[in-house]
Amino acid sequence: MASLSEEVLLVVKKVRQRKQDGTLYLMAERIAWGPEGKDRFTVSHLYSDIRCQKISPDGKAKIQLQLVLHTGESTTFHFANDSSALKDRDAAKELLQQLLPKFKKKANKELEEKNRMLQEDPVLFQLYKDLVVSQVISAEEFWANRLGDLNNADPTVCNNKQEVGISGAFLADIRPQTDGCNGLRYNLTADIIESIFRTYPAVKQKYSENVPHNLTEKEFWTRFFQSHYFHRDRINTGTQDIFSECAKQDEKGLKSMVVQGVKNPLVDLLSLDDKSLDEGYGVCTPPSTSSSSRTVKESSNAAIIKRFNHHSAMVLAAGSRKGEAPTDQASETSSTDGNSRDSDFFQPPVKKVKLQEAIEYEDLQRGNGPKTVALNLKKSDRYAHGPVPLQSQHYTTSQDIINSVNYIRHEMANYKPNLTQVVSSTAASSAIAALSPGGVLMLGGAQQAINQMVPTEVQGELKHLYAAAEELLRHFWSCFPVNTPFLEEKVMKMKSNLERFQMTKLCPFQEKIQRQYLSTNLTGHLEEMLQTAYSKFHIWQTRRMMRKT
Amino acid sequence: MKLNIEGLLVYFPYDYIYPEQYSYMLELKRTLDAKGHGVLEMPSGTGKTISLLSLIVAYQKAFPLEVTKLIYCSRTVPEIEKVVEELRKLMEFYCKQTGESNNFLALALSSRKNLCIHPEVSALRFGKEVDGKCHSLTASYVRAQRHSDPNLPACRFFEEFDAVGRQVPLPAGIYNLDDLKDFGRRKGWCPYYLARYAILHANIVVYSYHYLLDPKIADMVSKELAKKSVVVFDEAHNIDNVCIDSMSVNITRRTLDRCQNNVETLQNTIHKIKETDASKLKEEYRRLVEGLKEANVARETDVYLANPVLPDEILQEAVPGTIRTAEHFVGFLKRFLEYLKSRLRVQHVVQESAPQFLKDIFDKVCIDRKPLRFCAERLQSLLRTLEIADVADFSPVTLISNFATLVSTYSQGFTIIIEPFEDRTPTIANPVLHFSCMDPSIAIKPVFQRFQSVVITSGTLSPLDIYPRILDFRPVTMASFTMTLARTCLCPLIVGRGNDQVALSSKFETREDFAVIRNYGNLLLEMSAIVPDGIVAFFTSYVYMENIVASWYEQGILENIQRNKLIFIETPDAAETSMALEKYQEACENGRGAILLSVARGKVSEGIDFVHHFGRAVIMFGVPYVYTQSRILKARLEYLRDQFQIRENDFLTFDAMRHAAQCVGRAIRGKTDYGLMIFADKRYARADKRGKLPRWIQEHISDGSLNLTVDETVQLSKHFLRQMAQPFRQEDQLGLSLLTLEQLESEEMLQKITQIAHQT
Repeated sequence: MASLSEEVLLVVKKVRQRKQDGTLYLMAERIAWGPEGKDRFTVSHLYSDIRCQKISPDGKAKIQLQLVLHTGESTTFHFANDSSALKDRDAAKELLQQLLPKFKKKANKELEEKNRMLQEDPVLFQLYKDLVVSQVISAEEFWANRLGDLNNADPTVCNNKQEVGISGAFLADIRPQTDGCNGLRYNLTADIIESIFRTYPAVKQKYSENVPHNLTEKEFWTRFFQSHYFHRDRINTGTQDIFSECAKQDEKGLKSMVVQGVKNPLVDLLSLDDKSLDEGYGVCTPPSTSSSSRTVKESSNAAIIKRFNHHSAMVLAAGSRKGEAPTDQASETSSTDGNSRDSDFFQPPVKKVKLQEAIEYEDLQRGNGPKTVALNLKKSDRYAHGPVPLQSQHYTTSQDIINSVNYIRHEMANYKPNLTQVVSSTAASSAIAALSPGGVLMLGGAQQAINQMVPTEVQGELKHLYAAAEELLRHFWSCFPVNTPFLEEKVMKMKSNLERFQMTKLCPFQEKIQRQYLSTNLTGHLEEMLQTAYSKFHIWQTRRMMRKT
Repeated sequence: MKLNIEGLLVYFPYDYIYPEQYSYMLELKRTLDAKGHGVLEMPSGTGKTISLLSLIVAYQKAFPLEVTKLIYCSRTVPEIEKVVEELRKLMEFYCKQTGESNNFLALALSSRKNLCIHPEVSALRFGKEVDGKCHSLTASYVRAQRHSDPNLPACRFFEEFDAVGRQVPLPAGIYNLDDLKDFGRRKGWCPYYLARYAILHANIVVYSYHYLLDPKIADMVSKELAKKSVVVFDEAHNIDNVCIDSMSVNITRRTLDRCQNNVETLQNTIHKIKETDASKLKEEYRRLVEGLKEANVARETDVYLANPVLPDEILQEAVPGTIRTAEHFVGFLKRFLEYLKSRLRVQHVVQESAPQFLKDIFDKVCIDRKPLRFCAERLQSLLRTLEIADVADFSPVTLISNFATLVSTYSQGFTIIIEPFEDRTPTIANPVLHFSCMDPSIAIKPVFQRFQSVVITSGTLSPLDIYPRILDFRPVTMASFTMTLARTCLCPLIVGRGNDQVALSSKFETREDFAVIRNYGNLLLEMSAIVPDGIVAFFTSYVYMENIVASWYEQGILENIQRNKLIFIETPDAAETSMALEKYQEACENGRGAILLSVARGKVSEGIDFVHHFGRAVIMFGVPYVYTQSRILKARLEYLRDQFQIRENDFLTFDAMRHAAQCVGRAIRGKTDYGLMIFADKRYARADKRGKLPRWIQEHISDGSLNLTVDETVQLSKHFLRQMAQPFRQEDQLGLSLLTLEQLESEEMLQKITQIAHQT
């Protein structure tokens, strides 16, 4: 038994699968089940093939564990040990829970990537259907040389994806619902948790500090929702709360943001006033400095306001954290020397730009911006209220169109017949004859008629055949020169693949065409290509034989 | 383009012009021709500044003897810098057109905080610290001491400037604050003193109101500016408050305690000096007997303690004998201080006039009016004699002596109110003596008298006739200009009811009403769903905003709003608010959209513009009346009624509406901009309120939009926003709200333009 060398992590006896008793083994890389009394596994799944596991609800009589594979198949195990079924199941579940994510990432990524490629590229998808689903070649073969460039292209493709920001209202989405018996239910999803972590790094830190060791996940979130941190309108009094530290950290963060000041001098309220009145002058009295006079309500209101400002700032920062990293650094360097003399040197460019922006009247200047084509609305109401289809379209920019129209107009305007260098009359008439219908140069036009002659479905099929054949031929020709045993093997296989293709795909198509009395030489070129491949193969084979003998 | 404004060649640095700009220049020229004052209202974003500058510069070039200088006063530092940049643009245009190099000198002046280049001093954060530190390095006696002890620290920039900077005038050019600093660094001269010196011969000076209106500063900075200057107050809708602020004083118990310390320090210093250097005091005494005024030469660094009263009120005679010696004066101060302390011990509110106060002080502690009038001047002399290095420490005693001088100088236009506690907290004793100016015309009077033309202009000066009344001057031109628009890019809507027909209003009786608060919340929620990018909402006061935000939070409205946009809220802390503002702009910029909750009369409503997508809608929750229970306000209203025949309600409404107009006007900053203006209070529909809005807003309020529900507002807004989102090209405007030179010169257009100005 090959698996003997494997490390067995867990063995559960009395597990039924398809009404057959047996034993479940959890090993380092796969999960396996063998029926009782036999020493081979009838079920064996690599962890990387498993998409997820499902368990039967607690109250159910049958205690089951289901594994769902990426292929969509599933296997169900029924834990049948009367006394310890639940415990067994939970042990298996826990272990799987830890193991699966490790394999998942890699497998998933590849799978997702393949999936994405198929979805994004209809031609590839068709090819996949033609070749793999009809089992001309195996999936691995198909992907073998796709994934190569896939892996190279991979990172850039992923990076092109835009970072998704955080909804400003994620906290609103977890509005508690009363559960009817004096309790509150909060609905948390992975997305919300992710949002909370990204917005409040302090909470994430608390989570990683506390969560498996001191608190369970559930307890953690319960405490979170009970905390003063979450309910900012309650005044923070107790210090037992694990989140009180978070609040302090937030405060600190807010303060440091405030101290750093703003980059845009036009919104800096501190430097707005040129000369403030000295203390004691002016009509307004200075605000009473005694903080004790603030009522509890007022300070709770102030806390709410602070919280909203902070929350919005954090949400905004979470959305642009990646892009901002370098600028942050720049501002740090400028703030570390903390000298306003230095900041002077940094400031002017921003300031200049902002000032120029502020005094600009774009409509008073002669326009030199890009020209646009105005939408000419006959019924603006229909535009404003009608349905708008969501389509992404590629179109040339209006600037391009204008440019090209202008260009042509210019060309036409400047056209001057150059009468000294015209062609001779005989040459001209022969050219005209060649270009008129029936002429030599117009013969090609007859071929266009295929468009009309052949029904579109046949055309489509032909296209697919071409694509499939080309893919196979590509594989075939890529084996030459054959200089390794592997390639030898492959070339043999590819030849048989080609033959199989001709038998299963091309021949039925030819018959179909014949049945429809269409011109048979539609597939002529395809056959020609295949013949070339075969003859190449034969030459190679005979040469090899000669060499061997 | 080159324009012909009634025979004056005006270079205008753009290819096109708005009709109202032309009209504005016409009115401005008439004002200058008549050598009189003017009040001009033109919507913001129609190029007011550049019109002003173009015309006045042209006038200066054409009649160099008639108008020698332009003094342009604005309110905030960014505004000042913007004006200088526009001026630079104009001057570049002049150079290009005429081919001559520029021979104009124009510069901005700001406080030391914005101009200092001394590495240590400029690192300080607060203006007062910078001033104090600068003074401790550059005061005349500090420098005199340095002659004997060269180890004392000095500011090399000032020394350098003092040594050579005065001989060579600043070369012609346009100097913004940063340019001055650059120039200063290159030459090693102090930019601040360089600028202060250069404004005397500059053609154009741009600085803030205080340099002209606050007598304490005006006396030292703007004293020698030529009479043939044109003074422009831009953004002048709040000018009366600036005037009043510069003349008012508040004294708390803390001030008096610190003042006590000051007086003791003075006494000790006098003792010490007497032992070591009695001749100094004798010399001072002699000077005071002779009534010698301080020579102005070499003293410009010392003028930190200018007289708080206006120049024409300062008595031109010798300091009276009772306070001539230093000890007597200190004793005098002590008595005065004790008297003030006793007055602050009252248990009930006292309100009295200045003569009453003087009579009482004479009865109680036998202090005469005359020595009081000299108090500020005498203290100034004493501090100088004692060579006090850090004057900032002596600000309490300066405050008290300024108060003494003010109260004894003006018998009218001021009131004294002593409040033993704040109204909101009657149990906590916090006595304050308010000496408040009620008549803005006092502070601005010398400006009107001295300069030949003073132009008051802003985007919101309606109703125009009230300004000449409260500032007490006779303008030769008063005009309000509308915004000619090719498309109605502003959409004022008055929301009077909620969807449940509850009347919306911030008036006192319904302020706490949950139905109103909820409907306000709904309005904001609905708007947040349909308005792209930024929304700015203004509340009537900070307390009101806090309450509303809290109850919106409880009702879950804010959380629903967060689904659509991020929320930022103004706080009393300026630094925090700046950060919120920047984040707000960032959120508008990256397309997420945001809401800024802010306060009318706050810093945001006064100084920050929300151009284009930074403010697609402004919602004004309630009518921003000033807190009417304040005694100071009541006294002022009474005074206005008695002196100027302005009814209380008229003034209150005027004041509320100018602030509302300021708030909603923040969103429209040009003809290509567009925005909704939502007035969420049914009281706006009344004719007396509506009539006080600027004409350019008023004329777009249709009768159909006077008492809308929230739903109707949403419908109208949707329609408006969709229309506005269509591309808007220059050609659409051309001939209507944007003119080429040929179009401008056509007979028909000139006819039309005369109608733009709304004369009153």
